[in-house]
Amino acid sequence: MSAKQPTDKPPLGMLVLTGLTFCTIAASAWHVFLNTPSDATLGIVQKIFYWHVGAAFGMLLGMVTASLASLLDLVSPNDRVDAIARATMEVGVVFALMVLTSGPIWARKSWGTYWTWEPRLTLTLLVLLLALAITAIRGLAADSESGRKIAAALGVLGAPAAYLIHVAVKLWGGTHPTVIDGGGIRSTEMRVSFWLSVAAMLLLCVTFIVARYRQIRIAQDTRELRLTLSARALEDNA
Amino acid sequence: MTHLHLTWLLFRKDLLIEARSREIVGFMLLFSVLCVVIFAFAFLTDADRARLFLPGVLWVTLLFSGTVGLLRLFAREDESGTLGICARSRAGALPLYWSKVAVQIAFSGIVTACVTPLAVVFFDAEVPDVGLSFAALALGILGQSFVGTLCSALLVTVRLREVLLPLVLYPLLSPLFIGGVKMTSIVLSRTIAEDYTAWLGLMVAFDVIFMVASPAVFTRLRYE
Repeated sequence: MSAKQPTDKPPLGMLVLTGLTFCTIAASAWHVFLNTPSDATLGIVQKIFYWHVGAAFGMLLGMVTASLASLLDLVSPNDRVDAIARATMEVGVVFALMVLTSGPIWARKSWGTYWTWEPRLTLTLLVLLLALAITAIRGLAADSESGRKIAAALGVLGAPAAYLIHVAVKLWGGTHPTVIDGGGIRSTEMRVSFWLSVAAMLLLCVTFIVARYRQIRIAQDTRELRLTLSARALEDNA
Repeated sequence: MTHLHLTWLLFRKDLLIEARSREIVGFMLLFSVLCVVIFAFAFLTDADRARLFLPGVLWVTLLFSGTVGLLRLFAREDESGTLGICARSRAGALPLYWSKVAVQIAFSGIVTACVTPLAVVFFDAEVPDVGLSFAALALGILGQSFVGTLCSALLVTVRLREVLLPLVLYPLLSPLFIGGVKMTSIVLSRTIAEDYTAWLGLMVAFDVIFMVASPAVFTRLRYE
């Protein structure tokens, strides 16, 4: 059991992180909408792209960390690692939803359709579905040890599966704009907007993860305390 | 007693129970025939185009009937409470895993062997290359059994497992499924113009990766 005193105030680090995230998002919004020229062909819709790609980075951060933490938790169980796995998986789901909402709006204007079975779209969708299922199982199994094992095992299996899905859907072929490799961003303002948005979304992702992690840790501590209390009550009765 | 011998004993036990009770294979078979019939109603609008749907119909049927089998795979161990005992035996959990994989392969194999010719007849298709079609279906059954057995064991104690198993299994199996449907449709099309080796490679890679990963995860689980 952790020795630290329970407190209802969030720690300073959390406040600083939240403030920083808020400022970066505001700066990115300001720069994207007021300081960057609209795309010549796509117009204002192109601005979705900045936060769309940022959210995709956030999703990647969440899912990859979740899979690694699951592996670690499966090999040597640890409450902290388990909390990281849960928090990152859930935040990964949220960011995947952001990617899959902003993407089609962009695609409608850019490709003329909301959805195509293009490799990266298909991969994101399948990974999201898998992550949702794992999160659901985790929720159903609540605090039980077996639910934790199940979620960890599936989180581990998700990594090779995601890689194979990536290969499989790539063989199908498709058209996703490769902006970074293709050198599609020409103006400096656009480049600043791009990296500012990526930073903003990653910070938001980290803030969510930290907040959720703290919440899960508190829940774990509460459960332990309750177990200790009921054990003590049993002893007193006996 | 070697691991192999133990695996064989467990496998034989399941086959004997199935031979006497006829609980699973018969229903899997009936279910897959129904699947094919339902798909025929859905897709048989135009006789010429119908055979284009055959690969998809075959693979969805394989997936669905496999799920029916997987849902019952550990049911008897769960009901009698012997899952933990088997998993904690001195030989470890691996013989249990491999015996269940073998059971699932056997059941799915029987069902596929019966349903595939039926579907080919129903959809009025021709099979130019029996060997390759067999290879594709066999790789599909293998991969599905490796991953499915693990998922079935994972969910055995979970409430709502009947709903959750497909939710977990289908995204995990999707690369195998995509590869299988693609390869089968290339093989079944009269002229093999497209190259199927990439899809074959994908399916082999899937099977090899999960042949290693699934038992590795299975041994790390806790069985109460």
